[in-house]
Amino acid sequence: MSGFFTRRLIQGVISIIGASMIIFVISRLSGDPILMLLPNDAPASMIEETRRNLGLDKPLWVQYLIFAQNALVGDFGNSYRWKMPALKLILDRLPATIELALSGLLFSVAVAVPVGVMSAVHRGGWIDRIGRVFAMLGQAMPAFWVGLLLILVFAIKLNWLPAFGHGSWAQLVLPAISLGWYPVAAQTRIVRSAMLDVLDSDHIRLSRALGTPERLIIWKYALRNAAVPLLTMLGVYFAAMLGGAFVVETIFAWPGVGRTVVEAVFSRDFPVVQAGVLFTSILFVMSNLLVDLSYGLVDPRIRHGR
Amino acid sequence: MLLSVRDLQTHLHLKRGVLRAVDGISFDVAEGETLGLVGESGSGKTLTGLSLLRLLPKGSGRIVGGSIKLDGQELTTLSESALARDIRGRKIAMIMQDPMTSLNPVFSIGDQVGSPLRNHDIARGAALRSAVVDVLQRVRLPSPADRLGDYPHQFSGGQRQRIVAAMAIGCTPRLLVADEPTTALDVTIQVQIINLLRTIQADTGAGIILITHDLGVAASLCRRIAVMYAGQIIETGPVRAIYRTPSHPYTKALLAAIPRLGAKRTRLVAIAGQPPSLIDPPSGCRFAARCTQRMDKCAEAPPTVTLSDGHSAACWKLV
Repeated sequence: MSGFFTRRLIQGVISIIGASMIIFVISRLSGDPILMLLPNDAPASMIEETRRNLGLDKPLWVQYLIFAQNALVGDFGNSYRWKMPALKLILDRLPATIELALSGLLFSVAVAVPVGVMSAVHRGGWIDRIGRVFAMLGQAMPAFWVGLLLILVFAIKLNWLPAFGHGSWAQLVLPAISLGWYPVAAQTRIVRSAMLDVLDSDHIRLSRALGTPERLIIWKYALRNAAVPLLTMLGVYFAAMLGGAFVVETIFAWPGVGRTVVEAVFSRDFPVVQAGVLFTSILFVMSNLLVDLSYGLVDPRIRHGR
Repeated sequence: MLLSVRDLQTHLHLKRGVLRAVDGISFDVAEGETLGLVGESGSGKTLTGLSLLRLLPKGSGRIVGGSIKLDGQELTTLSESALARDIRGRKIAMIMQDPMTSLNPVFSIGDQVGSPLRNHDIARGAALRSAVVDVLQRVRLPSPADRLGDYPHQFSGGQRQRIVAAMAIGCTPRLLVADEPTTALDVTIQVQIINLLRTIQADTGAGIILITHDLGVAASLCRRIAVMYAGQIIETGPVRAIYRTPSHPYTKALLAAIPRLGAKRTRLVAIAGQPPSLIDPPSGCRFAARCTQRMDKCAEAPPTVTLSDGHSAACWKLV
C-alpha cells in the first residue's frame, strides 16, 4: 500500500511539473504582455526596460528555471495587471472553485447512484427507460447551455433562485447543477452496469438464499461492490468539474479560479495563469490520490495490497 | 416427514421455448437424513434445489406444478415475503458450489456470518457477536474471535467453504441444500468439507440434500441417492443397493464410467450421445436414444418399478 502510494505520489509530481511546463510555453505563445501593459506610444527603451524588469528578455528555458525555482518556495511573481502576488490572487479564489466542483460532483452522484441502482434493479422498466433518456440529454447538452437554460427557467421565469453571485446556498444551486449535469449520464451507466454485474453474482444469490431482505441486498451488499468502479471515475470527474468550472464560473459570475484564469489569459497576465493552472493541476493530482486511497475504504482487497 | 416433494415441475421460459428443467419429480427427506441428488450437468438437480427455496432465475423460472411440503407446510404457494422471512436461511439454507465467489468480497466475514442471524432476529448486539463466534467454531474455523473483521480474500478456499457453511447453519435450519459443495475444492479439502457436513448433521439433526455429479462424494455422505436424468428421477434407493445392483441402464453406465485405479481397461468409458433437449423432450423414456438395451416399448414413458425396499427405477426392462 505505501509503495503503491509513493509511486502514485511520484507520478503526481511528474504530472504537475509537466503541466507547469506546458502552460508556461503555451501562455507565452498567446502574445506579448508588454504591449498590453504599456500605452501604445511607449518608447522602445521603456518597452525594453519593462521586459527586462519582468524577466521576459531571457531565453524561455532560463525563464522557466527561474519560475520553477521561485515556485518551489511559493513565489509565483506578481500579477502584471493587479500588482499583487499571483499566488494570493489564486489562493483567495480557490475555495470558491473547490466548493463549486464538489457541489457539482455531489449533485451528479446524488442523482446517478439512485437512478443507476433502480435502473439495474428494474432492468427494462420505466425507471430504466426514463433514466436512459435523461442520460442522453445530459451528454448532449454542454454545461454553458444547461447553465443558461437553468438561469432562464429558474432565475428569470420562475424567480426561484438567484442567477449569479456567491455566498448563499441558493446561489450555489444553479451553478452546481449545470456543472454536475453532464457526468450524471456516464455515472448512471457505470452504477447501472456495475449493479447488474453484482446482482448476478454468487454471493448475492447466497444472500437471497439465506433470506436477506431485498432492500439490504440492493442498498448494502450489492451497492458497496458497485461503488468501486464509480469511485475509480470520481477523480476523473472531479478533474472534469475543475475544467468545466471555467465555463460555469464565467456564466454565473462565480468568483473562482476559473474565471480569474480566463481573465488573466485575455490580459496575458502570465504569473496568474501559471499559478492558476498549477494549482488546478495540484488539485487534480490530489483528488486522484484521494480516490486511490478511498478504494481501500470500500474494497478491502486493495487495502491489503492484493 | 421433514421434506416431501411431489410431482414437482419447474419450467424455464426461454426465448427458444419452454424448457422443462424439472419434470415431475418426487422425493422425501427425513429428519437427520442425507439424500444425494446425483446427475450430470443439465439434469435439473440444481434447479430442483433452487425450487425448494423458490429462487429460480428471475423472469424465466417458474414452478408450474406439484407440491413441496416442509414439516407439512406447503411452500409453492407461500408469499415471497413469507419465504424470505420464515423459510430462506431460517428453515432451509443453501451452500453453493464455489466458495471463492459465494462470499461478498467487500464485507467482513463477521458481518456476513451475522447477516442471517440479524435478518431472522435471532441475535443482536453483543449476543450477535458471540453467536457468530460460536457458529464459526462449530464449522472449525481456527481462532474465529480474532478473525471477524477479516475479509474473504484473507481465507483459503476450504476456510471460505467453512464460512459459507457457517452462514447456512447459523439459524439451525431444518434442511440444508448443499449444491456441489466440494466440486471447486482440492481433494484433501473435499474430505474435510464432507466431514464437516457430517458433523453439522450430527449436531443439528438437519436433513441434507447433497446435489452432486460425483458418485464418490454422494456415496461417502448419503444414505439414499436419487439419480436424475433429463429432469426426471430415474432411479432411487439406498446407497448400497444403487452401487451393488444398479438397475436403470443410465445408472449402470454412470457407475461404469467411473475410472478405477488398477483396472485392466485403459480406455475411459463414456456414455455415447447427448441428453435430449428439454424444450421438446421425447414422450417415452428420455434415455432411450443413448440406451444399449433399447426396446420398442421405450417409446412409451416407462413405469416406476419397485425392486426392493426403497429401491425403485423407471425402466421397461424391469417390468
